Amino acid sequence: MREADPRELVLLLARALVDQVDQVRIDEVPTPRGTVLQLSVAPEDIGKIIGKDGRTAQALRTLLSAATSRSGRRVQLDIVD
Amino acid sequence: MSEENNEQEPASFVEDGRTDQAADFLRDVLHSMGMRCQVHIEEPGENDDISDICLQIEGPDAGRVIGKRGQTLAALQYVVYRFVNRGGQLKRHVLVDAEGYTARREDNLAAMAERLGQQAIADNKIITFEPMSPRDRRVVHLALAKFAGVTTQSQGEGSERRVQIIPVRR
Repeated sequence: MREADPRELVLLLARALVDQVDQVRIDEVPTPRGTVLQLSVAPEDIGKIIGKDGRTAQALRTLLSAATSRSGRRVQLDIVD
Repeated sequence: MSEENNEQEPASFVEDGRTDQAADFLRDVLHSMGMRCQVHIEEPGENDDISDICLQIEGPDAGRVIGKRGQTLAALQYVVYRFVNRGGQLKRHVLVDAEGYTARREDNLAAMAERLGQQAIADNKIITFEPMSPRDRRVVHLALAKFAGVTTQSQGEGSERRVQIIPVRR
């Protein structure tokens, strides 16, 4: 069975969306309720990650939850600015 | 592919490499999601533009790739679209399907549009759909384009935009 790599997924998606690819950073924070991925990008790229009406952020969370649904390990995505 | 000039095929279209880039990106995304599946590039369908990027996903995890009511598939299509059109280049449409799910859905929608077209004529009443995506609205318009006795138009803005089927007097 193939294993999902949530961190790699978010990195791949974030790099595809922003202009300043080298400013994409992900911190993995373990919590009692599961892992939190803290995504930060260049200030001028924040809008590209969130999208109109939060549509892009919603798509990222949909893909993240599809990736982790089989393992049952909860992974939460926080976009930090 | 035919050399003849078709209305939907501007002779000027030359593949710019973004189709392969889109397929590779989608493969990478699916791989990091842990999905067992393959991605194939398909030719655009008869209702698509020649420049449309059409990707088909197949494999044992296709069901998970589609997700509840197709929402995972829609999210994949959206991120591939953003990836493909991130530069200032000419925008290209992206269609991501899995095991023909979207194609079947659109066939059903077109068949429903024709049934509602008949009903609009029979009742001589305007029929209004629920809000739909631009692509789904287009499916309805196309399904009824050559349907005698009705016309279609879209009403409303943004996420509230709906198609109406309007009976025409003969």
